[in-house]
Amino acid sequence: MTELLEREELLERLAALHAQGGRLVFVGGEAGVGKTALVRTFVAGAKPPFLHGSCENLSAATPLGPFVDVAAQTGGALAETVAARAEPRDVALALLHELSQPRVVLLEDLHWADQATLDAIRVLGRRIDSTSALVLGTYRDDEVEGEHPLRVVLGELASAPAVSRLSVPRLSLEAVRGLAAPSGSDGDAIHRLTQGNAFYVTEILAAGGGALPETVRDAVLARVAGLDPAARRLLEVVAVVPSRTELWLLESVTGAEFEHLDDCLTAGILHADGDAVAFRHELARLALESTVPAHRRRRLHARILSALVARSSGSVDPSRLAHHAEEAGETAATLNYALAAAAQADEAVAHREAVAQYERALRHGAGLEPAERARVLGAYALHANSAGRYPEAIAARTEAIAICRSLGDRLGEGDHLARLGGPYIAVGRNADAEDASRAAIDVLERVPASPELATAYNVQAYMRMLNRDNAEGVAWGTKALALAERFDDRDLVAGALNSIGTSYLMSGEIERGIEGLLRSIEAARPPRREFRVGSAYGMLASGLGEMYELERSERYAHAYLEHAREHGSDETYILSWLACVRVYRGDWDGGTELARSVLDSGQGAIGRITALIALGRVRARRGDPGVKDVLDEALERSRSGGHLQRLGHVCAARAEAAWLGGDVERAVEEARAAYPLALEKRHLWFAGELAYWQWKGGALADVPEWIAEPYRLQLAGCAGEAAAAWREHACPYEAARALTEADDESLLLRALAELDRLGARPAAKLLRRALHARGASVPRGLRLSTRANPGELTARELEVLRLVAAGRRNADVAAELVLSPRTVDHHVSAILRKLQVRTRGEAAVAAAELGLLQNR
Amino acid sequence: MDTYVILRRSGWRSGDDLEEAAARSTAAGEQMSDDIRWIRSYVLEEPDGVGTVCIYQASSPEAIRAHAAAADLPVDEIVKVADTVLVRPDPTPVTIDN
Repeated sequence: MTELLEREELLERLAALHAQGGRLVFVGGEAGVGKTALVRTFVAGAKPPFLHGSCENLSAATPLGPFVDVAAQTGGALAETVAARAEPRDVALALLHELSQPRVVLLEDLHWADQATLDAIRVLGRRIDSTSALVLGTYRDDEVEGEHPLRVVLGELASAPAVSRLSVPRLSLEAVRGLAAPSGSDGDAIHRLTQGNAFYVTEILAAGGGALPETVRDAVLARVAGLDPAARRLLEVVAVVPSRTELWLLESVTGAEFEHLDDCLTAGILHADGDAVAFRHELARLALESTVPAHRRRRLHARILSALVARSSGSVDPSRLAHHAEEAGETAATLNYALAAAAQADEAVAHREAVAQYERALRHGAGLEPAERARVLGAYALHANSAGRYPEAIAARTEAIAICRSLGDRLGEGDHLARLGGPYIAVGRNADAEDASRAAIDVLERVPASPELATAYNVQAYMRMLNRDNAEGVAWGTKALALAERFDDRDLVAGALNSIGTSYLMSGEIERGIEGLLRSIEAARPPRREFRVGSAYGMLASGLGEMYELERSERYAHAYLEHAREHGSDETYILSWLACVRVYRGDWDGGTELARSVLDSGQGAIGRITALIALGRVRARRGDPGVKDVLDEALERSRSGGHLQRLGHVCAARAEAAWLGGDVERAVEEARAAYPLALEKRHLWFAGELAYWQWKGGALADVPEWIAEPYRLQLAGCAGEAAAAWREHACPYEAARALTEADDESLLLRALAELDRLGARPAAKLLRRALHARGASVPRGLRLSTRANPGELTARELEVLRLVAAGRRNADVAAELVLSPRTVDHHVSAILRKLQVRTRGEAAVAAAELGLLQNR
Repeated sequence: MDTYVILRRSGWRSGDDLEEAAARSTAAGEQMSDDIRWIRSYVLEEPDGVGTVCIYQASSPEAIRAHAAAADLPVDEIVKVADTVLVRPDPTPVTIDN
């Protein structure tokens, strides 16, 4: 093995992180660049010995594969948790528990990680700072582009304080020259060809002599060419087994060739790994595998499969058996093992792997009875839907419906019809979702009442709620609830209570809505219904935001985010609502920062709309450029669903922006675009705001009596009362805007001071003009920076200061306030400057002296 | 990155205040160099002190606001630049004295 070149700096950084403890480090680099060599060198002398797990290059990986490896080394509680087929989060918590001592854990090849492994790594990343361990995860950074699941996890953990990334660079020309020199090879030519890829370089040097191989594959094969034919046949066996090959397996599949194992090890082509052997690099395995002719490969897979089956009665990982069975072309065996592997993935909540195994089963499913095929299609559709593979879920349900119809299975037909609703809505086919939902109820009401009918009622309730047909949402939800209780199905009870609660919330019955959603969480509390718990918190956060119950919305948004981080669910939608809520509460910097983080993440199509609205509102209110871009995109993205919850929000923001931009006619036009829909659904706030912009443009004939209180007061000409109502909803900008409509000059001046404080330039400018026209004496705006005045902290800075004074690190402050660490750094610098102190300790003292630490 | 003009009218009482602000601006700019680049500024003579017209490149208007907050700079108005017409190089910079 060659000495590690040009890695001193990386090793030093790893050593420093190890010394700090409680860190998760992702080590990235292209295939063959030397990630494994680096981390193996680093962990070689570790005491106690390092723990090790790796992901396999399988089309459908074993759920929690690397954690299964690690558990075999630790034994104890972690092994029990893994053996009990626990969920990813519990496995991660069990591992964290093992890490009380300063150990190193090496998780290799995370670019192949299954979904359950990634979920567990999310939890590790969020909590690793509670341990003194160092967890290293290697991955190929050139293979995690676009929507690769690992990239999503890397993005989510980017803000976690204890998580960092290292990148392993290629070797420099000098390093390659140094490696080539002893054999007298042309270092420059090798560097040109290999671009400094460490594995490629060593393969060329090991092959030696003659012309330089054109590709890394040629280099590997040139090196193998010198071996005895029997040794090469042995290598072929190792090559068709993904990742590592156990010695017993190799011995039982080979004959006399086994004697040549030593040759392969001595030549450095294979290396021993406990009681198994493996290629020195996956690139070498793939190169060898590609040279095995198809017929021989098939025979080898068949022999490996029967050896695996003979060895163990049922304890071999079914995804491994399914892989070899499929490669061996054994249809019946593939079907059985794929179904077993799918069930395993289902237990680990690894949707992607379950989808892959069900697809494999269906590919080999000619022998399935129709009823069984419908059942498999249903399970496949469930996971495809959860994995975001909506078209596949729709196709599978559609086929299952046809099978159930031909069998006269009404329950099955109705159930599949009802469950078509979710994926149809996800792809924007609302009319198809509606038809399927109605058809499901129709079919299921003709047979005795069933849990399937409860599901069908609840799908309809959910769709009515999404459409903001609130009374119908409550009615269908109540029917679903009654049946769910009758069948004692707690998951369905939680689902029905969610639809009912959210519908109440949207009709303005806030307390009843909150009560329903909290009851939904109660019903979902026993394990395995985390989806329901997250959904209820999400509805509370977004629904209360839509209803301008901002303080409570923010509280439930934090509850949601905490839950989502533990369970690996999507954060973008609720982050986007939190952004809007912050904007409406007057925290424009905090709101736009969150909105930007949602937009920059590239995730979450629906969250993107809400984030764009938050950004557009602030830009319009500040008079900043870029309003049109973001609100045009928001409108474009809202059109496909056609739902009031997006269109109403977007059109209201567009009307506001047009009005602040001085285009009153367009403001009226934008407001009118969604107004009839808002009236039809009796949406208190959207109807209120859309009516308001028409009224401002002098184009509103009738004022609905039922709109939200602050707007009703404004339209009735009660500016002072309206402002008070807005303040009750914690909306300082809207309160000031209401005051601008007062007659009393002192109220107008108060409005002006507030608009100046908020930095609301366009509204302040309009008000100044109106005041001048009245002949009032108008104060100039805030010219000098407010910061010239020591101790004058913003609300956000006060929040940060309170946490800093309580001894919290910046990273913890960032996590708690859902801000980026860099923003917290900025706030802390600003605080130090304003308080004219040098250290955080002095800031705490100064703040206490100034009386800044009491709660507002 | 887009180009923006930032108006900071009558932002400072004196040239000395402005100089301190310029140092803070540079420091804050270095911390967020992916998002913002200060190109040049024109210092305005105003009845009650000095102001500036600044040319920046930035990833968004919010990046300009964040930089201004971090460096303690006032912002009156941010305008996006659609195009640049260069006729002559800038005249030799002069230092204001107060």
